[in-house]
Amino acid sequence: MEDYIVEMRNITKRFPGVVANDDITIQVRQGEVYALLGENGAGKSTLMSMLFGMYQPDLGEIRIAGKPVRFRSSNDATAHSIGMVHQHFKLVDNYTVAENIVLGVEPMKKAAGFLPCVDMKTANREIAELSKSYGLEVNPTDRIEDLPVSVRQRVEIMKMLYRKAEILIFDEPTAVLTPQEIEFLLKIIDGLRQSGKTIILITHKIEEIRKIADRCAILYRGRLVQVLDVRSTTTQAMANLMVGREVDFNPHKNPADFRGTVLEAEHLVVRNANRFEVVKDVSFRIRSGEIFAIAGVAGNGQVELADAIAGMTHIAGGSVKLCGQDITELPVRARTEAGIAYIPEDRQGMGVFLDFNLGENLALRKYYREPFAKKGILQFRQFETYANDLIERYDIRCGQGRRTPLRSMSGGNQQKAIIAREIEEHAKLVIFVQPTRGLDIGAIENIHRQILAERDRGTAILLVSLELDEIMELADTIGVIYNGELLKVADASTLTSHDVGRYMMGVKES
Amino acid sequence: MKKAESSHRFAALLDSERWSGITVPILSLLLSLITASILLLILGKNPLVAFLSFLQGSGFVAKSSYGGGAGMLTDFFTFLNVLAPMLLASLGFVVAFRAGLFNIGIAGQMLASGFLATAFIGYSGMSAWAAKPLVILVGAAAGGLLGAFVGFLKYRFNIHEVVSTIMLNYIVSYLTGFFINSKFADPLTRSMKICSNEARLSWTNVQISGMKCSLPLGILLAAIAVVAVKFLFDKTVFGFELRAVGRNPLCARYTGIKVGRRIVAALMLSGILAGLAGVTYYCGYYNTIVPKSLSSMGYDAIAVALLGNSTPIGCIFASILITIFQNGSNYMSSTLGVAKEIASLITGILLLFSSCGGYFRYLAHRKLEEARDKLTAAARAGTETPRNSADGGTKEEK
Repeated sequence: MEDYIVEMRNITKRFPGVVANDDITIQVRQGEVYALLGENGAGKSTLMSMLFGMYQPDLGEIRIAGKPVRFRSSNDATAHSIGMVHQHFKLVDNYTVAENIVLGVEPMKKAAGFLPCVDMKTANREIAELSKSYGLEVNPTDRIEDLPVSVRQRVEIMKMLYRKAEILIFDEPTAVLTPQEIEFLLKIIDGLRQSGKTIILITHKIEEIRKIADRCAILYRGRLVQVLDVRSTTTQAMANLMVGREVDFNPHKNPADFRGTVLEAEHLVVRNANRFEVVKDVSFRIRSGEIFAIAGVAGNGQVELADAIAGMTHIAGGSVKLCGQDITELPVRARTEAGIAYIPEDRQGMGVFLDFNLGENLALRKYYREPFAKKGILQFRQFETYANDLIERYDIRCGQGRRTPLRSMSGGNQQKAIIAREIEEHAKLVIFVQPTRGLDIGAIENIHRQILAERDRGTAILLVSLELDEIMELADTIGVIYNGELLKVADASTLTSHDVGRYMMGVKES
Repeated sequence: MKKAESSHRFAALLDSERWSGITVPILSLLLSLITASILLLILGKNPLVAFLSFLQGSGFVAKSSYGGGAGMLTDFFTFLNVLAPMLLASLGFVVAFRAGLFNIGIAGQMLASGFLATAFIGYSGMSAWAAKPLVILVGAAAGGLLGAFVGFLKYRFNIHEVVSTIMLNYIVSYLTGFFINSKFADPLTRSMKICSNEARLSWTNVQISGMKCSLPLGILLAAIAVVAVKFLFDKTVFGFELRAVGRNPLCARYTGIKVGRRIVAALMLSGILAGLAGVTYYCGYYNTIVPKSLSSMGYDAIAVALLGNSTPIGCIFASILITIFQNGSNYMSSTLGVAKEIASLITGILLLFSSCGGYFRYLAHRKLEEARDKLTAAARAGTETPRNSADGGTKEEK
């Protein structure tokens, strides 16, 4: 029998109303990169959270290097040399890199011979060495708040290495990175493998698995579908297994048919809470039937720009016109009624009421109008028929129909609900911000098709995305935003993704 | 085996979607009664006698003897007199709470409305037909304005309502105290001069089958308020928007709701109900105001609302329960010879257990799951050993 460093046998884990993991068995060899592939809500993160001791399995057994273990907390997992980089980093912003890394396992020294205190000098030196030996390029004395996301992620990796972790779990590590940063991360992971670490990679991006993983377990709705040897499998086969059906990688895009101008933004200025200009003198126009995509590295003002057009943020300067009507000063509802639909970046915080049920959430744009309300009284019959209609037409999966609490639905289905609701407004302009972030291929494919269908219906579309592939695939016109300024606006056919990547880094035209 | 089965049925009852709203509070109540019994036993008293005397004191069970002209109905109507403001005040809290606001100012709003109603209408000598509606109106207006003011402070200056209502409680308490002492004080009692029988919201000394009773108008108000608040939140656009603001202000704004205005409206509505509680308390149950003292009811109402799961119907049961303990405490104290503060203690224990309601339900849920897991584990042990699926074998399961 082969020796496995990690074995999870017949794991079952239930949460109220869902079986997150149903009798899953995985076995990981020492020194390999083992990928867990699956749609959102397939149970990847839950499975790994149990390996990292954050949950206990309801049934089944975990073995590390052949010995059965029971983890009561992540401390137990750390003691068995397991480390995890979470999707949301767990770092103290106003501490330095080194302080974050040693937190909890600080090297101690005795000041003046007796006073115990943290030996930061040793810590800094050790961490600098560690960074060098794995090629992580992290400076131990930098403060976390000054660092970009990609470096923070490497700090998380160092945290594991510093604790002598041998089994490293990465939860969706590339979701927040730019193409160049992803390359770099994959190189790091490869280096870790060569130094003998075992790596478990949670992801829904098949490309990465092809590049880095040795084997790949595919989960589908809480069950293990198959374990594949990556080298002997095609991308298409993996995608089909993951989604549970045939996937079409190349959505058909009809030739562009632009009609009149729908949105006209002139010299837009938006300030954040600290009165700092985050959008600086931005002007652009979107025509009917056009997808105008804004590309840029996260945090360059694109979300604020979308918020400002939708009315969520005050416009400090300039003007916005929708079909000739000045909407610069209009409140949110007036803009919605004028014909703006908005799919926000922060789905759970802004896009839905997690405590309300699906039916109520689907009616958020209409609840106060006839026929949903008559003389201030809600007409629940209407809510019901409307919700059932949308659930069916948009294939929203929900356990208890329109009565399903939004909170209990998967992220992908929550997004489906939001998109259904906004598209049903039949607006003149639909703003999509990061519409596919964190979703699986099946859902992404579906959303892309919907965006294109809206475009073909003659809707103007503003698409803000951090995924360059998505922009290259969908956009008719691309605007690249850098540091609050639109550096470049051009017809999508005249730009390569390499060009766009350069502008995203702030390189102006030469 | 039988024991395990019945305990499972019990757990299923606690966890069921349909019944847990009732079974969990009942369990909390039982647990707190048991705890209170232990306390009473330690004091050397018979807990059953104590609980009976609470009920007797509130007119639910006949006492062994009554004074001249009094009877069970007398006690029961007194109970209703206390219940009305308690119910109104807890509804006031619920309205704000559902909109995500914590109105600590109910005590102050009650006091302000009771004072103004007494001062303006209570001494005016108007006929009962004019005076009683006016008292209600003044009370509602005073409470509503005070609540709206708190909402305005939050909306305009971002002052947290907990801070401003606590401050306002003091301001109202001292301001009314000053006016009572300087203008309206009764020289004998040092409290506010009593308001006229025409203006008072209870009809005192009404004879019903030979018993002197005091009939509260407030209980009618409270009943109407329960229906109105329930209707508001369950059926109306306005109530939907209040809930939306309470659950997620950011999404409420995204939906197009004017969040600031809804905050002001919710606190105004909360204040109106508190104001009604104030007049039924100070111009109904009591007939006077002791200067510089806030009624503890304004704070008890918060507990009642939370015990009632912040629903209007829940408030009915919770306020009945708490009022029985508080109103019956005098009689309990005299029959048993223990301090009447034991009633507050029981209320406290009750709140403690009822705040654990979610945990009880969780425990029941766990128990059911564990039982299910044991069954599957047993079934699996009989049929198969862990399968090795690492080598590319497709997994198809039962």
